[in-house]
Amino acid sequence: MTFAEQFTIVLQALNEGFLQTLKLFIITLLGALPLGLVVSLGSMSRFKPISAVVKTFVWVIRGTPLMLQLMIIYYGCSIWSGGEDGRFAASAVAFIINYSCYFSEIYRGGIQGVPVGQQEAGQVLGMSKKQIFFKVTLLQMIKRIVPPMSNEIITLVKDTSLARIIALQEIIWAGFSFMKGSNGIAGQVWPLFFTGIYYLAFSGVLTILFNKIEKKLSYFKV
Amino acid sequence: MKKVIALLMAVIFMCLGFAGCGKKDPAKDVENIKKAGKIVIGITDFAPMDYKENGEWVGFDADMAKEFAEYLGVEVEFQEITWEQKINEINGYKIDCVWNGMTLTDEVKEGMSCSVPYCINSQVVVVNKDVADKYQTAEACKELKFAVEAGSAGEEMAKENGFEYTAVTDMATALMEVKSGKSDAAIIDSLMAGAMIGEGTSYEELTYTAKLNNEEYGVGFRKGSNLVDEFNKFLEEKTKDGTVQNIATKYGVQEALVK
Repeated sequence: MTFAEQFTIVLQALNEGFLQTLKLFIITLLGALPLGLVVSLGSMSRFKPISAVVKTFVWVIRGTPLMLQLMIIYYGCSIWSGGEDGRFAASAVAFIINYSCYFSEIYRGGIQGVPVGQQEAGQVLGMSKKQIFFKVTLLQMIKRIVPPMSNEIITLVKDTSLARIIALQEIIWAGFSFMKGSNGIAGQVWPLFFTGIYYLAFSGVLTILFNKIEKKLSYFKV
Repeated sequence: MKKVIALLMAVIFMCLGFAGCGKKDPAKDVENIKKAGKIVIGITDFAPMDYKENGEWVGFDADMAKEFAEYLGVEVEFQEITWEQKINEINGYKIDCVWNGMTLTDEVKEGMSCSVPYCINSQVVVVNKDVADKYQTAEACKELKFAVEAGSAGEEMAKENGFEYTAVTDMATALMEVKSGKSDAAIIDSLMAGAMIGEGTSYEELTYTAKLNNEEYGVGFRKGSNLVDEFNKFLEEKTKDGTVQNIATKYGVQEALVK
């Protein structure tokens, strides 16, 4: 087999793997961004039992390896099927729970960083509590959390490779398969390292995107 | 409002942790599989036992698995797994058996109910070509630093021979260790060695020398599964009528069959 032939086969396998990586990434974001806000509100609740439960939960999730959480969620529960779909669903749930806990702390920092004066101003203007939260606090929080969020989201891009432990066939899995032998190609190391280019390109796109968002939000300067 | 949402979330998380952890009885595996209409075979991409050709799983083990499914009267489904998770996969009911040129090691026999052996393979030492002459016997290899796949038959061989070794995640990593000079030698099985090293691979400078043992391949089922007896009956029947021999010849593993 010539290198060109090998390259085509490898590229196809890596593309398929990357699609799975991308899917996991997007679904995790869609789930964890809103859930993280809920978790952060819970941890800031003035009703002590709730904030205690949520804080303990965040401690457990942030304090244990995501790899273990993946295994417990997948192998521990019989609701997931043995096929690729079941593995994907279990991975998505594990990632959403894990990342919502990290996001919640970023949200908390953002919310608490908005000066009290802003809320007081809202009260003076006769806004309801709900209005103050959504129209004053939340909006200003978004601007503050963009840099730490972009950090966490770029970490997520690479963390998706952990799902390999429950045999989700993402891009690193695809890269590894050519070492052991797959599609008639065996003992090749380069496909694995080639996956790095996909990650680099993707996080490059994200970085540009986040810079744009930051610029867009700069009119919020207080 | 905030409080209600938060409380709700807490409850949902708790439930998620425990949801659907019902237990099934392995002694009724055959019945359950027939009810489900399919058997899920846990495999890895491992030529010539299981590999993909035009999108379909073929190989000695894959073809035998198809025969077994037909014997049971169910559909066959192949699922790629992460090898070190095989016992979790099977206990978590994600797959029904591990059928992938699996060496019957103590770990495997402890964790699963295994079939009678159907193939015999051996573990070999992999070293750089230029030093291969020096290390033709296990005795001579004692001075080398090894890399072996964690939990593999190779690791057991390293322990048994008193080799100094590092355990790595898989065979491919073990070979990478040798290639990069982090370790002097690796132990992998001979079927694998044929495909992974030498001409046309990333490991052209590697070769294999000493044969450390003879080992048996078997199929692993859940502990206490009644599929084991069913499989042994199937194997005996298909060996007698020549099916096993035919499939083995097709994939070039006839020499390794248990006679």
